[in-house]
Amino acid sequence: MSVAEARPILPTRQTYADVTDQLAGIPMHFPTRRRWLIALLISSTLLGLLFVSAVVLFSTGVGVWGLNIPVNWAFAIHNYVWWLGIGHAGTLISALLLLLGRDWRNSLNRFAETMTLFAVVCAGIYPILHLGRPWFVYWMFPYPATMKVWPQFRSPLEWDIWAVLTYLTVSVVFWYIGLVPDLAAARDRARRRRWQVFFGVLSLGWRGSAAHWQRWHQAYRLLAALAVPLVVSVHSEVSLLFAAGTIPGWHSTIFPPYFVLGAAFSGFAVVAMIAIVLRALFNLENLVTMQHLDILGKVLLACGLMTAYGYVFEVFDALYSGDPHELQTLSDRFFGQYWWSYWGAIFFNFVVLQPLWFRAARVTPWILFTISTSVAVGMWLERYMILVTSLYRDFLVSSWGEYHATFWDWATYAGTIGLFLAPFLLVIRLLPVISIFEEKEVLHDERKELRRGKA
Amino acid sequence: MTMRAENLRFDLPRLRDMTRSSRRFWSSLEELIDEEGFRAWLAAEFPAASSMFDDPGRRQFLKLMGASLLLAGLGGCRDGKSGEALPYVNQPEGVVPGVPRYYATAVTFEGYAQPVIAATYAGRPTKLDGNPDHPVTRGASDAFMQSAVFELYDPQRSKLPLKDGVPSTWGAATAALTQLRARWQERRGEGLRILTGATTSPTLIRQMAELTKQFPKMRWSQSQAIGTALQDEAMTLAFGRPITPHYQLDKCDLIVSLDHDLLGPGPHQVARAKAWAEKRGEAAPGAGRARLHAAECLPSLTGAVADSRLPCDASRVPLLAQAIAAKFGVAANKPELNPHEEKWLARAIDDLRNHAGASLFTIGPQHAPAIQALAPAVNQALKNAGLAVWYSEPILAPAEPTPLAKLAAEISAGSVDTLIMLDCNPVYDAPAGLQFAELIARVPNRVHAGLHVTETSHASQWHLPLSHALEAWSDGRAIDGSAIIGQPVVAPLYDTRSVYQLIDFLLGGSDPKADNAVRATWRERFGDQFDARWRKSLHDGFVDGTTAKPLTLSPKAPHAEQRETADQYEIVFLPDPTIWDGRFANIAWLQELPKPLTKITWDNVIAISPAIAAREKLSNGDVVDIDIGARSVRGPVWIVPGQGPRTIALFLGYGRRAGGDIGQGVGYDAYAVRPAENAFIARGRLSRAPDRPQQKIASTQAHHRMDGFDFVREVTATNPRTAPPKDTPTLYPDWNEIAERENRADHAWGMVIDLDLCIGCNACVSACNVENNVVVVGKDQVSRGREMAWLRVDRYYSGDVENPKSYFQPVPCMHCEKAPCEMGCPVHATAHSPEGVNQMVYNRCIGTRTCSSYCPYKVRRFNWYDYRNFAEAEQAVKNPDVTVRSRGVMEKCSYCTQRIQAAHVAADKEDRALRRDEVTTACQQACPTTAIVFGDLLDRESAVAKRRQSGRHYVLLEELGTRPRTTYLARWRDEPGEESA
Repeated sequence: MSVAEARPILPTRQTYADVTDQLAGIPMHFPTRRRWLIALLISSTLLGLLFVSAVVLFSTGVGVWGLNIPVNWAFAIHNYVWWLGIGHAGTLISALLLLLGRDWRNSLNRFAETMTLFAVVCAGIYPILHLGRPWFVYWMFPYPATMKVWPQFRSPLEWDIWAVLTYLTVSVVFWYIGLVPDLAAARDRARRRRWQVFFGVLSLGWRGSAAHWQRWHQAYRLLAALAVPLVVSVHSEVSLLFAAGTIPGWHSTIFPPYFVLGAAFSGFAVVAMIAIVLRALFNLENLVTMQHLDILGKVLLACGLMTAYGYVFEVFDALYSGDPHELQTLSDRFFGQYWWSYWGAIFFNFVVLQPLWFRAARVTPWILFTISTSVAVGMWLERYMILVTSLYRDFLVSSWGEYHATFWDWATYAGTIGLFLAPFLLVIRLLPVISIFEEKEVLHDERKELRRGKA
Repeated sequence: MTMRAENLRFDLPRLRDMTRSSRRFWSSLEELIDEEGFRAWLAAEFPAASSMFDDPGRRQFLKLMGASLLLAGLGGCRDGKSGEALPYVNQPEGVVPGVPRYYATAVTFEGYAQPVIAATYAGRPTKLDGNPDHPVTRGASDAFMQSAVFELYDPQRSKLPLKDGVPSTWGAATAALTQLRARWQERRGEGLRILTGATTSPTLIRQMAELTKQFPKMRWSQSQAIGTALQDEAMTLAFGRPITPHYQLDKCDLIVSLDHDLLGPGPHQVARAKAWAEKRGEAAPGAGRARLHAAECLPSLTGAVADSRLPCDASRVPLLAQAIAAKFGVAANKPELNPHEEKWLARAIDDLRNHAGASLFTIGPQHAPAIQALAPAVNQALKNAGLAVWYSEPILAPAEPTPLAKLAAEISAGSVDTLIMLDCNPVYDAPAGLQFAELIARVPNRVHAGLHVTETSHASQWHLPLSHALEAWSDGRAIDGSAIIGQPVVAPLYDTRSVYQLIDFLLGGSDPKADNAVRATWRERFGDQFDARWRKSLHDGFVDGTTAKPLTLSPKAPHAEQRETADQYEIVFLPDPTIWDGRFANIAWLQELPKPLTKITWDNVIAISPAIAAREKLSNGDVVDIDIGARSVRGPVWIVPGQGPRTIALFLGYGRRAGGDIGQGVGYDAYAVRPAENAFIARGRLSRAPDRPQQKIASTQAHHRMDGFDFVREVTATNPRTAPPKDTPTLYPDWNEIAERENRADHAWGMVIDLDLCIGCNACVSACNVENNVVVVGKDQVSRGREMAWLRVDRYYSGDVENPKSYFQPVPCMHCEKAPCEMGCPVHATAHSPEGVNQMVYNRCIGTRTCSSYCPYKVRRFNWYDYRNFAEAEQAVKNPDVTVRSRGVMEKCSYCTQRIQAAHVAADKEDRALRRDEVTTACQQACPTTAIVFGDLLDRESAVAKRRQSGRHYVLLEELGTRPRTTYLARWRDEPGEESA
């Protein structure tokens, strides 16, 4: 990450106590209760919709979706990829930037990690919903079955199970370990018994001793080091779900980096969206500063350009190979029935991104928010395009078909948005949304630098 | 007779009074309401019982109760025997559970007996195939034959006699008939009319003769929606009587067909396709191969395999016929033709002349008799008679049936008193021009017997349920004239009777046994040797020495008139390729079977030519009205490339108003505009139906052009080899070496499909469906792209939309040696067998569908829902050797793995190796043209290994490196340069 960081990133006027008071106070003296309740109501409704969709799905079969032969993978898989991509940014920000010593991450990592967690959960339920016989999902695990059958380890789906589960586990542990010192701080500031017990149990007896800090640092950095390869592996693996198939438009070696970059792209976009909303909601302008927005904008632009490179190379690949089926798929993407998904992806992911070259656009919250939303939409379209435009017309002309999403496709998708938002809202209600001690670390460093500068 | 309905008035206070005050017992409301009427009826019907009702005292009551309990018990002792049935091959030493037994029998189609072998498991037939010993089928079959078991187990078959639509009993029905019979005897059969479908049955003919003896003034009419009336007339013009022509396609070097779908669906398909394929065989164009020139109104299976094809309108066929006839000195004047026609004709005539003696000229049996009659004369002139075509006494009986039109006239004259309709449905399928549905109400007594409660049943007072051909003793003649005695292979599922039993009853028999009538016929014919010959005929599936004898006849050339072309479209009526004239409308599988050329399911369409579509600005699914005279029908159009430019085709058999939930209300009823006089070709107008949205048509194949790909390859006589595969550089070790090193199995199963022989007839698809318990999913699911057929026949076009070349390509699972699907499955649910079969383990499948996503051939099918909502009767048709798949499970062609295993078991039991070509798949067995060959690739001498050596051999999507076990032989393309060969 070669993002030029302007110093100081946090206003140095605030004291450590201010930061703690401000952040730990949010759960205990929650501002904007009304707006939060409305948001929770909406997301709970969506969650309810997910529940209804799942009941309908489980009781009748995946036929309720618009799937068929040839397009027998669509919404479930493409939303899975999309959510998992969003879930990417959390680990990237927390772990990779931690190891690289980019301390601007400290204002973003907590909610980015939280976002990762729930995005991965949203992604994680799709492979189960997607199954023809979901009650046998455990057959994908290598448990000691009496028939001595094992999973088929050559299958990208099998790797997928491992990749996602590892990612989810590491993300949860990393998020929780990072949270412990803050939970202790919140515990210490809690007045009511309820909060004291709540935070007390969760903070695992953290007393802030030097030994605690030393162990904590070891654990945190170790986990970060473990998590970094996962950033690359998860989405590389997801891309193999497609690249391992022979289908034109899928069968390409560019897929792993293409998918990882796309994932980071959508992840950063959603992080930016959340940052902007939280900042406005909780008056955190002093902690999530213009500098942060500026950096997020730059990262977004960089990821977007790399993703665009992927688009270019996909076209080049098809043209260079000269394979008639690849060319057919290319022309289907450009001009076929689902042209809107291809050109939509190009427009939302590339064209809309261009104002980010200018600092003014990057530091104007509403512009950055709009562009980030556009990227989330664009990446959704891209995943749709990769799946549907490859499958609906594969090799044999006779078996070409069409795909039309049904109500239940959309309902399930909307439901997962509820599944993402509802717990996320609960977390920002109950836990510090920004890492308190890490912010204080940054403040401490900045002050030290300031002093050194003055001296 | 039962009580008169009009007398029954429901008087509740009176009934209450009666039931409260009286100690008497009552069994029905009718009895209470109409006490006098009931008594009178009782006295007439059961004289002994009437006294019992007078004083039902305690003793009387106990006696009656005891007696009725006893009788109820006796009811269970039904005569389950339906006579003596003999096994085809195995000695009847007792049924081994799980091991099928095979019986030779017959199912009827268009009056002809189709010789079949029925496989039965524990007494229930599950599959029919052509009788391999019979010269007509020689083991092959067609979609209709395969689907007969579905008809047998149709849960909506008629199960009870109906009186005015209300369930009744056979007792009541026979009582009613007895009453009628007394009247016929009085009047010597005056006003009695019996209407049947077409028939060849010697027993039925004998019985009818006996009926005529008893009731001399009775008349027998035949109702045939398709039938052979025009052909019979043509033959009468040519030979003086309606003799039957037999085409020997295996002896034809050249065929010129004028709108005659020789290879198309119908009772002759199997025999003709088999003979045609034999001639065509491996031969290259010019090397003794049957060349085929076809001119046709509507693309047909014959046109699809023709070497040259001319799309024309029905009105041009007479002109073309006359032109050919004129060339061979049969007709006087040669008509004016357009350049396309001239060009096609020049080739056809040249070829006819060059192959005189081994060529065949035919004209479609739907054309005017005077035109059709030119064909025998031309064949005579070419000295083809006796070789490519021979003639016999009529196979169908009677020779001169009283046509339906005459019956209609008699009805409107009021001279018909009783109409007994046996196994026919004139109210639905009589041409609208006859107005039969309105006329029938004028007949005082109407009795209908059939498999289903049809439109005709509703128009009759009595409906009697008939037994299915597989439940009843029957006989009939195959298309070659050989007699077949059909034995029941299952006891009647419901309380039904056969047609013969009914007629025996009309003849005065009381409760005739199931096999009485048929035995009586053959006892007469076999004489002293009855026992031995009866048993042998049942065992073989046909009666020795009954094949029709060739006649030597010389035809007269008729005088054929030219017809003027009016300023209207030409409408042709055709039986639907999958549900025929409507009789199969309630067989869900035949509804879902894609029509061979349009790939449409669950609907009939109004087929229009691209020229009409352009002129009228129509696209597929637009709803139009077709007006013929004063009648009109409304339906969706479908543009058929290669259709005659002014031709509109209407398909019969849809728009059923009764007969079962599956067929009812599907499609439009083309009979509603069918004129009485010229039943196959008419003129009419087309207009777009106002304010009607496009109708959704469920077609299994949306794209028909190969788009520059070479899925179907062609070779020519000058270049008779397919291109060798491109050498693709790889870092992997050579596959052949690995395969050789690692293959430890004794067999390597493979399949080669010869696209030059495939006529797209759907026999394989149907056979696969029956063999492998493939489910039917309905129109909605098909239109969503969720059809379940394991084997599909892809149809491609190439060339000009006005006259494209059509190609058929059956696509089962390729059983790739390097299968992408196997690599994708996370739970080992699809795996490779040591013998090279790509297997589906249903109970391991969790439904990730990765296999299907990865499959380049898209041959896999998924159970999107639980499609197993079978009625009880339908469960019986399932092949017990094949799992019925549940919801959420992938399935696909298994190379009939159950048959491979059965062969292994049989070989192991006899301690021997598998014999060469011992295993046949269901599709291969059904295929009338032997386009599909299956076997062991390791056996160099096996049929499949030999085909793999052919220069025409190629692999579908070879560039993917999947190494399929299913491969193809390219089609021969006729090069005009070598015509003279």
